[in-house]
Order: sequence, then structure tokens, then C-alpha cells
Amino acid sequence: MSRIEDIGIFNAMREAGLAKVLPAMPRIAVGMGTCGRGNGAEGVYQALAHAIDRDGLDIQLAAVGCFGACSEEPLVNVWLPGQPMVILRRVQASDVERILTDLSRGRITPDLAWCKIEEWDHITAHLRYGVGFPELPLWSELPFFSGQKKIVLRNCGLIAPDDIDEYIAVGGYQALYKVLIDSKPESVIEQIKASKLRGRGGAGYATGIKWEFLAKAKDDRKYIICNADEGDPGAYMNRNEIESDPHGLLEGMIIGGYVTGASQGIVYVRHEYPLAVHKLTRALEQAREYGILGANILGRPFHFDIDMVEGAGAFVCGEETALIASLEGFSGRPRPRPPYPAQKGLAGKPTNINNVETWYNIAPIVLKGPAWFTEIGSTKSAGTKVFSLVGKVQNTGLVEMPLGTPLTKFVYDIGGGAAQGRTVKAVQTGGPSGGCIPHEMFDTPVDYETLGQLGSIMGSGGMVVMDEDNCMVDIARYFIEFTHSESCGKCVPCRVGLDQALEILNGFTKGTGTVAQLTLLNELGRMIRDTSLCGLGQTAPNPVLTTMRHFRHEFDDHIIARRCRAGVCHSLALSPCENSCPLHMNIPRFLDLLKEGRVDDAFEAVFLDNPLPASTGRVCQHPCDDRCRRQTVDAPVNMREVHRFIADAVLLTDRFEPLAARIAARKKAPTGKSVAVVGAGPTGLTAAFYLALLGHEVTVFENKAEAGGMLRYAIPEYRLPKRVLAQEVELIRRLGVKFQFGAGVGSAVTLNELDEGFDAVFLAIGTWKESWVYLPGTELKGVLPALPFLESVATGTNPALGRRMTVIGGGNAAVDSARTAVRMGMEATIVYRRERKDMPAIKEEVDAAEQEGVKFLFLAAPHRIVGDARGNVKALEIAKTRLGQYDASGRRKPVVTAEIVRLDCDAVVLAVGETVDLDFARASGLTLHEAGTFVVDRFTMETSRPNFFAGGDAISGASNVSNAMGFGKKAARKIDERLMGVKRFAGISGGFEYSMEPPETTSTSPRHRSAELTSAVRVKGEDEVMVGLTEADAADEACRCLRCDIRG
Amino acid sequence: MPQKKISIRIDGVLVATLEGTTILEAARDAGRRVPSLCHMDGLKDVGACRLCIVALPNGRLVPACTTPVQEGLAVITNSPEIAAYRRMIVELLLVERNHVCSVCVSNGHCELQSLASSLGVNSVRFRYHYPILPLDLSQERFVLDHNRCILCSRCIRVCAEVEGAHVWDMMGRGIHSRVIGELDKPWGEAASCTNCGKCVQACPTGAMAEKGWAVEEMVKRTAQVAGAAFRKGVSL
Amino acid sequence: MSKLKLATVWLDGCSGCHMSLLDLDEGILTVAQQADLVYSPLVEGAVSSQEDLSKLQTIRARTRLLVSLGDCAVTANVPAMRNTIPVQKLLQFIYVAGADVHPAVPTQGVPALLPQARPLHDYVKVDYYLPGCPPRPDAILALLSALLEGRAPKMPAVKFG
Repeated sequence: MSRIEDIGIFNAMREAGLAKVLPAMPRIAVGMGTCGRGNGAEGVYQALAHAIDRDGLDIQLAAVGCFGACSEEPLVNVWLPGQPMVILRRVQASDVERILTDLSRGRITPDLAWCKIEEWDHITAHLRYGVGFPELPLWSELPFFSGQKKIVLRNCGLIAPDDIDEYIAVGGYQALYKVLIDSKPESVIEQIKASKLRGRGGAGYATGIKWEFLAKAKDDRKYIICNADEGDPGAYMNRNEIESDPHGLLEGMIIGGYVTGASQGIVYVRHEYPLAVHKLTRALEQAREYGILGANILGRPFHFDIDMVEGAGAFVCGEETALIASLEGFSGRPRPRPPYPAQKGLAGKPTNINNVETWYNIAPIVLKGPAWFTEIGSTKSAGTKVFSLVGKVQNTGLVEMPLGTPLTKFVYDIGGGAAQGRTVKAVQTGGPSGGCIPHEMFDTPVDYETLGQLGSIMGSGGMVVMDEDNCMVDIARYFIEFTHSESCGKCVPCRVGLDQALEILNGFTKGTGTVAQLTLLNELGRMIRDTSLCGLGQTAPNPVLTTMRHFRHEFDDHIIARRCRAGVCHSLALSPCENSCPLHMNIPRFLDLLKEGRVDDAFEAVFLDNPLPASTGRVCQHPCDDRCRRQTVDAPVNMREVHRFIADAVLLTDRFEPLAARIAARKKAPTGKSVAVVGAGPTGLTAAFYLALLGHEVTVFENKAEAGGMLRYAIPEYRLPKRVLAQEVELIRRLGVKFQFGAGVGSAVTLNELDEGFDAVFLAIGTWKESWVYLPGTELKGVLPALPFLESVATGTNPALGRRMTVIGGGNAAVDSARTAVRMGMEATIVYRRERKDMPAIKEEVDAAEQEGVKFLFLAAPHRIVGDARGNVKALEIAKTRLGQYDASGRRKPVVTAEIVRLDCDAVVLAVGETVDLDFARASGLTLHEAGTFVVDRFTMETSRPNFFAGGDAISGASNVSNAMGFGKKAARKIDERLMGVKRFAGISGGFEYSMEPPETTSTSPRHRSAELTSAVRVKGEDEVMVGLTEADAADEACRCLRCDIRG
Repeated sequence: MPQKKISIRIDGVLVATLEGTTILEAARDAGRRVPSLCHMDGLKDVGACRLCIVALPNGRLVPACTTPVQEGLAVITNSPEIAAYRRMIVELLLVERNHVCSVCVSNGHCELQSLASSLGVNSVRFRYHYPILPLDLSQERFVLDHNRCILCSRCIRVCAEVEGAHVWDMMGRGIHSRVIGELDKPWGEAASCTNCGKCVQACPTGAMAEKGWAVEEMVKRTAQVAGAAFRKGVSL
Repeated sequence: MSKLKLATVWLDGCSGCHMSLLDLDEGILTVAQQADLVYSPLVEGAVSSQEDLSKLQTIRARTRLLVSLGDCAVTANVPAMRNTIPVQKLLQFIYVAGADVHPAVPTQGVPALLPQARPLHDYVKVDYYLPGCPPRPDAILALLSALLEGRAPKMPAVKFG
């Protein structure tokens, strides 16, 4: 091949290149970036090469770079002349024969086909592949690519990085040609300035201004440097850019060299990027061969060459002065600025350093003009930015988006949100120099200024999504550990400051931190940020400072409560299941006791952890299932059903008496202190049990006739038989807890009387006031809230409500109401404004309701209730909704449309939530939140009134049984601490010897489930639907536990 | 070329100085006390200890030792924030290694110790590290005690820039950085060492000392070394 | 009004700080008039052993104002020089390898050493620090007089170390 000396040769080469990119035969291109290779792309390529060679096929085979969709690798592009190019995903070597066979028939293998590309804007050229395959979506229609604007990644995954001809074919080096022939250097610099292009390495300094400094510097030698020392954990855009399109980088640098008067360029690339090094080496050779690098470039009197230098992998060498020191052969330590590199850089000569991605933007700006560029992105941040979207989202990969795009777009639309059943908590941007942005702020536009205001930075474009399994304290600790080990050690704040910050954070994650250290860490972080010598130290505290700002409660949990909600910090949790349980039941303990056949001990252990084990064994939302590590093998251990089995085996048999005596015998000596518990719901019962066990005199005041609260009055018999609950309450009574029924506090007894009569008062009044929706027609006969409806059924006064019931809502109360209606012989329909997967009700309950014939109407909001002449309900009109933007909960907000549907019915049950009885709360004189819940100290459960504590739904708003009981347990501990002045709680549930050896084998059985009555039988009566595990199944289920609680 | 005269404001006071001077020099010439450790008159500045931070009008902190003055510049050399940061930096230096003043040859003549006193350090809020560090007694006349080293690099610079021997350099990184002679040889075996002792005199603490002195007896002759450096014109 | 109670205690130190206290000369008479000297809250010495620690915790629980007196209490100073050596190795070296008679590590009647000698504030809240090895008598007097008169003391610039 000859050198390009004039436009004639150049054009001829372009034609020749086009014949490679769009050949007269089918073309198969395998994505062979590092991520593709990691997923088996080399095997695919070899299998294709082998088959094509073996069969002598007329197919052009190419190795291209990466198209960005990491979670779908390996990607293979298939093109038949005249047809769209089709992207196949997750291709394995074993698929090759099928692909070729299909191709020989002009078909695309349907199960592998992902999307098609009909035409492609390379920015520097426009390619039309063809039109066809109507069954396939266009690439831009896929959520992952929606809104993406590929400028930097314009060629990635489409052309062969090894072949300069293909780069020239898609318009490569035209911008350079234009600059060399037509343009004055100053006018190009003006163009770059006008484009508002800012450095993509992180700091965001205006590129044009930086170039101007270098252009104006007078020296015999000037350098331009490409910083490809990409070292942020989770960031790999520069690697992919160089691997997939090395000439794009070279073209930008050569233009930069020409207009700034530099004669030498240097690419400083990480040694750990071998493929990028290889592709770049080859590209440099080819460019020299073609006369694009070296003397008399493109036949003009311009001499410029580029060297590649491999860095040894020090993160700090991404800092420009450290990078220069490293290039000079010194150890990579930054130098003070001023003097800036533009004055005294490499070897003391004027030098300009830009990030890889900055260079890729140059050719498009030169060809299309600055106005085109500034139209993309936001006012202050023009153009696009490539992000590596990784972490807890379903679609991961490289994403190029216009600057100013809100984070929601990245996380939910492109990333597809968190995995099922989880919620995204935060996004970390900018790697170790960046910060964490909480989900409440996801409407934040991603640009330099806004991220900076939130304490984060754009950085090189790392974007790590985190869900509730990520501990923010541990995240902060992780990033400080990283910068700590990458600190060069030159300046004191970074060297010693980060070391101390790491020590403090390590203490937090081990549960030895103090509040004073939290204050000190904040001051230390600000000192390191404000006084460090270089960017590494100045930004290293960002992850700590932002997590402390946005996730202070997690720090408090670690330091004050010694808890890690995410279960990441091992020292702060027994096991993932225990950590997820609001009651912190020692689950591995009762599983092992049952495994050893010690049912009595197991019962005692369970009851001491959870005084309503049979009830919760039936109705708990079982958060433990989501955390159980057994699910990585097959399915989580059915912990809830096992403790139900253990409880049933005792409560409902003749073992009850001896075991009740055993538990009563554990009661501590009387303390002489008395406690009043207001409310006999799950929260009150739990607190009463523990307080009695600790030796206090406990009286429970309840305005209803029986104990149990929602368990007794709202949860239907078929889910929780009343006799089971009654037996649990009986055991609590055996500990000496006194109950006063029909004793409404505020009416029968006043708070002042309680204050005088007791050493402490615990308010667990629950949320018994039903929320009301503002809906025309709620005054009609046949409209009623869920709670009174369920309560009337629970107390045996079945109301006559006609034949058809519509239930509005998506929670457990809605499902309970509908299923109860079915048992009353009614037809029931649940109307919910979101989708099924968004329903807060327990999934198994929703399934059971469907089996029993309950109908569901999703994406439907109530519009009005229509009545007949006598004031009875006749129908419910609903407005169809569509899903709009994502809200703070990570669910899409339903937006009401104009489409109205009429649903004939005789009764409407409103199950839209419950709130605290505001009249009581206001009359109490205690400080309240806006919603009417009591304000309490999160760690001590104290209200604004001395000796008054509160817990359960009354402080959290309507929640569920286990959360409520968790509050009750914690309140008992805190009340005891306050009354006795010492911590006595930890010892009360101990005293069991059980195996702490890791099990040699675990049961290989799949998860055992409870047998259930058939839907035909169960709708006929009130019989309990879930029968419970058999003895053999329960024992085997216990053997499925992996014993995460055993460590070391 | 004669340097241009310019005027700047230090803590609100108008001060005349020469272009090319650093803020530190200008401030000290004007009689302001700006603490420093890694700075030594006559040596090139590296901006490592960050004690000489001063505030620009926009609140940004810059090291006085490496920031040149400009016409119209205004700086504040002390504020509650700056004082707190400086105190914290000294605290960090005290916990980093094993500084036991009461058994140190430099007790009473130590720049770190006197800075701690003048910055009001009366206790340290961080956890002491107590690292295990070697003591190099191999040199005939001098000792190097890493326990007392604050990594200011004055020894490295004085040896390279004034004596021209470049015996010393820094190895490792981050908290594991350490001053080494030649390629981490015992001092006594470092052939390039001329025995001049400039490093010892430049050392602000007791990390480098002459042999034969007991506690409190080692008084450094830093000023003489600085004088030698000026005669060589190193920092210009 | 009953006199304020003043106490001093000596953990792992050399008693030099107490010498300095006695060195108040006639100032000590003034102090004696203002306070009953009982047991503590001036604490000299670092926390080196289990006994030091329990003493310190008792002191903290029973004292309103606690002063860390002298470098050993403030920084752990000389006692901390053993901190880089594991306790067992240290005891072996001193009581076995270095013993002329009866080489054995004593275990009876002596408190167990903690892994490291640490300053007081690593374990308890300290209200005032008075460093120095030993602290100057006039600094001790200034601090004591202020505390006894119920003033917040203006801490003098003291030599650290």
C-alpha cells in the first residue's frame, strides 16, 4: 500500500475500504473486545473461520471491537448485502453451524437475533446497510440503546480496529485532511473553543483554552499527551475505545499536534490493557505506512509522530504531573502546579494532556462544526459522555449519552432497574474520586456542575449502581482503601490522612466506632480535600463525605446500634437471615436444633427470639428469603415454615404445658419496676413478653376485647386461625403479663394516670384509622374501608354486601378483603393503579387469590363510584393509567389517562392504607410527625415525654407484623436499659448448646413447601389454606441451611 | 534580568515584593509567621507537608511555598479553618511514626515538636500507629532513625541539590514510603555518600543525627546548610 | 460548702509528673486549702495493663473532670516504645532470656499486660490534657487553680513531648 499524497489516492482508498465494510458477499463480524473475549468470542471467531474455510464459503469474516452491551456478549454482527445488519447476542461457538446454515438460506437465526441496524451514522460518514427483517427491532428501539448518541463510540463494534482501510471507509482521517489542507491552526482552536468541549478525564477543563495555551507557548519542542491511564474501579470506557477504534484516537491527536504546533505525541496507556496496547501498536504502524504519521503527513509539510508508553499501573499516574514524572523515568509522584504543563511539562517543555475520550471528539467537531456539537448535551456541558454502567442493574455496559441526561434514564430505562424484588439505593459516579448520589436525587442531570454540587464528580465516567445489599459505610471504606493504597505518599494529608480515615472506617464496619470519630472523620475528610497536593488527595474523601452527607443513618446504624442493614459488615451480623429479620431471630440456631431432633429446645429458642412464632410463621413477609445464600444454589431455605412447624408442634399439642413452664422459669427475679404497654397488637405483645421475662411488672391496656391487634382483627381465619394466636397469647400471659381489655387509653385511663402509676409507658397503638381517598361516591351505601370489613368478619358479624365486590388497593389488606369476599360467596375484583409486580402484598397471597377466582385489574385508578337511586353502590368507574417516570421507590408512577372503564359492582372496599388515630395522637401532647406518627429517638425509642416510649406502626406508619414486633423487641431492650441502668437483654435468650461445626453435607432437596387446600375446597369455608410442613419435610428443610453463621 | 517589583496584600497589609518570589518568602519577609516543615531555605520546594497553606480571597487554599506571587494577589495566612487544618496535619505526623520526644536527641530542638506546641496541639485525636521501623546505625558518624522521619525529603534534596551526591531517595508509596540510601543500602555501605552531614543538618527532627549525642543534645545547623545552598544558587 | 475533691493516680509512668506536682512549692498549700486530696482525677501514665484499664474506668465513672497529666497519659510516650513488640516476646526477652535467676514470666499477683500501651483517651473521655515530660509545675498550678475555682482553664502553650 502506498502513502496518501493527494486527494486522489485518499478517495481511492476510501472506495477500497468501503468494499471491505460493505462487501459484495455476506459479512460476519465478531465483537472481539476484552469483554467479548472474556465471554468466549475467540472461540466463536475460530469456529467461524474454521467452518468458512472448511466449506469454502463466500463470507467475509471480521474481528471488530465492542458495541457496548457487556451483559449480552459475545455479540456477532451478521450482514447480507441489501439487508439490515443484524446483531446476534450471547453467541457461543456451538451456535456457529446454525448461524451459517441459516445464513446460507438468507435467514438470521431467530433465537440469537437481538436487533438490527438499517443505517448508521458514523458522524464522519453515513452507511446504509439495507431495509428488511420487519420482525426485528431496530437497535435504537431497545431500552439499553434508547437515547444513546454515539459520537465517541461512533465506530466501536462496527469496523475492524486492525484495519486502517475500514476506518478510512467510514470517513476516517477526513477531518485531518481538511485541517491540513484548508484550515489555519488558530481557526481550528477557535472551533474547539466554540464547541465548548470539556476534558473528559474528569476535571472538565475547556479543551480549546488548554490548546490555546500550548499553541501560544514558544519553544522548540512541544508535546501532546493522551492520558489512557484509566484506573478507576468499574471504569473501562477508554480501554474499549482504544481496542475498538484506535485510529479515532490517533486522528484527534494528530489534529491536536498540528494546531498546537507540537511535534511529538505520546499515548500513556496502562500496561494492564494488553489488547489496547496491541491494537494501538498496530494502528501506529499502519498510520506511518500510509503517511498519516511521521514526516510530511498526507503530503503536507507537517511532521508529527506518536509514541506509546505503557504505564506500570499506578492510579496516581493518571494525574497529569505524576504522569509526566513517570514519562521522565521518575517514580509517579505529582508535582506542584504552577508551573502548569502548558508552561513546563514533559522534560520542561510545554505540554498538553487530554483524556482518551476528549481526543475522540475532535474529528467530529472539525467535520460537523461547533454548532452541531453544542446542540447536543446541556448548556454548560456540550456533547456526550461515555459511561460504564455497572453494578446492580439488569443491563450493564458502555453507554454514550448526551450530557445533562438525568440519572433515572441511566438507572431505570437503560439499566432496566434493579433485579426483581430489589430497589436501587444509590449511584456512585466518578469512581474513587466521586461520590454517591442517593435515589431521591436521581432526577439530577448528569453534567459537570450538577454532580459537583452534590459532592460527586463526573470523573472518567464510571457509574456504579447500588441496591439495598450494598452497605454505604463499606462502600466508603472500600474507596478509601483503594485511594489509600494508591496514594503516592508525598503530601501528609493524603498519605497519613487517608490512612487514619481508613482506620476509622474499618472500626465502623467492625462495630468499634464512636460518634466522636464520625465528627473527626468529617473534619479529616474536609482537610484532605482542601489541602492535598494533587487531584488524588483532593478528591479521595468524596466517597466518604458524600456517603456521610446522604447516608448518615447508615453510619449511625453502624456506630450506635452496631448494625449493618445490608449485611455486608460481617462483624455486625450473625448471618444474612438473622440480619434481615426485624426480630433478629437466630435462625441458624433453631434450624440446627430441629436438625438434631431437639424440638423442645428448638421451640424454646424460637419463642425466646419471637414470642409469636406460629402467627409470624404464617403471615410474615419473610425478608429472610431474599437474603438466604442457599438461593445461589437453588432456592432459599423456607425458614418461615420451619419455625411455624416448630411452634405448631408445641403450641397445639400436650407439649405446651411443660414448655410454657420452662419458658416461665427463665423469668428473671422481680425488679420492682412496672411498665404499662398500650395496645395488645404484635408490638405491644412482644414488648410485654420481653419486659416480663426481664422481671418487670407488665400491664397491657387494650381497648378491644381480645389480644392480637391486626393479627386478631384484620387477618382472616383462613390465613391465621384464631386458636393459634390465642395459644401464643396464653404463653405470654403465663409470664405474668396482665391484660386490661376494653381499656382504651385516653378514655378509660389517661396518659397522666399511666405516668403516675408506672415507671415506664410504651405506646404501641398501631394504625387503626383507615386512609380515605377523595373519590366521588364514597358516601354511598356499600362503600367501606378494608379494616372495618375484615374486623366485622373476624368478629363474626358478616355484613351483607351483595354479589360483586371491588377492592381498591394492592396491599395485603386488599388481597385479604378480596379472598374473604370470595369465601362469602361474592365475586371479587382487585383494582390496582400499578402493575402486578409492584403490588406490596405478599406474592404467594396474590397467587392464591388468583387461584380462588379473584380478578385483577391493573393500571387502573378509581375515578368515581356510581350509585343507584336508593344510594347504594352500582358501579365503580376507573381511569386506565399508563406508566410514567420512575419515582423515588424505583417504580414507575402511574399516570391517569382519559380512558374510563365502568365496573358494575355492589360493594367497594377501600384498601388504600391505614394511619395513626390522629385524635389520640394529638391529644397525647407528644411530638408528632406530619403523618401523625410519634417522633421517637431512633436508637432509644423514647418519645418527647420522659418515661414514654413508642413503637410499631405508631412510629413507622402502617407496616407489617414482623417489623412491628421488631420495634416491640427493641423497645423492651431500651426500656429495660433505662429502668435498670445496665444492659441485660443480650443474655436472656442464650443457653443452648448446638453444633457450630460447618455441616459436611447439606440436604440436596429443593425447597419444601407447605401443602395447601385446593382452591375449590378452601373457598367453601374458613379452613386454613396452608397446612404447614410435615415433620419429615421440616427436618429436611433444616438440613438445607448452609450455616453462614459459622465463620473462621 | 532584574525582577519586577509588585505589590500584594498579606492579611490585608500591602506588601512590596519581587515577581517570582513565593508567597512564603514574601510573607516571611513581611514578618508574617507561616509554619512549614518541608520547606528549607535554599532548597527547591516540593509542597509536601501542606502546613504553609494560605487562603486566597475565593477561599481556596494554596501552599505558600510553591505558589508564586502575582500583582494584586491577596492572601490570608491564618484563620480558624487554616489553624485547625494545620493542627490536624501535625497530629497526623505525630501518629504516623514513633515520636517519643523524651528520649530523642532532638528534644527541644525539633521543628515538629515546636510546631506542635505553637499550633496548640496538646493531645492527638487519632490512633497512634506504632509501626515497626528500622534504625540504621551502619554509618560511622551518623544515625538514621526512621521512627522519627516525617518524609519531608529535605535530606534527599539537600544531598542532590547542594552536595550533588544524591545518596537519598524515596521508596515505596503511600503510608509505606521510606527514605533510602542508594538502592536501599545501609547508610554505611552507600558508596556515594561523602560523609558531609548536610542531610543531618537539614533534617527537621531527630530522624538523622550525629552519633555521640544524648537526649536533647543534637542541635541542627540548618542555617549554615541553607547558606551553602544560597551560595550555590540552588533554588533559583 | 464541702471542699472539692482532688485525686491523682499513677498508671504506667515514672512518677515524674507527680514529682512535678509536688514541685508546685508553696502553690501546693493553696491547692490543699481548696480541695481534699482523695484519689484521682489527675492521671499520670499510659494504660498498659488490665489493672491500669480498670482503674481508669473506675476513675472515669467517679469523676467529673479528668485530666490527662503528662506525656505518658497524653501520648503513651515511653511505655509505648514496647508497642511494636508482641507482649509474649517482650516478657520472654525480659524475664527469661534476660534473667540471671529464676527465669520465668511472672503470672501470679501481677496484672496482665495489654497488647499495647495506649493513651488514656483511647479508652475514656478526657476533659483536659496537660502534656510535658514532665509538665511544668506552673502549668499544673495554673490548670488546677482554674479548675478548683470553677473556671474553664486557658491552656498554656506547653512543650509537646
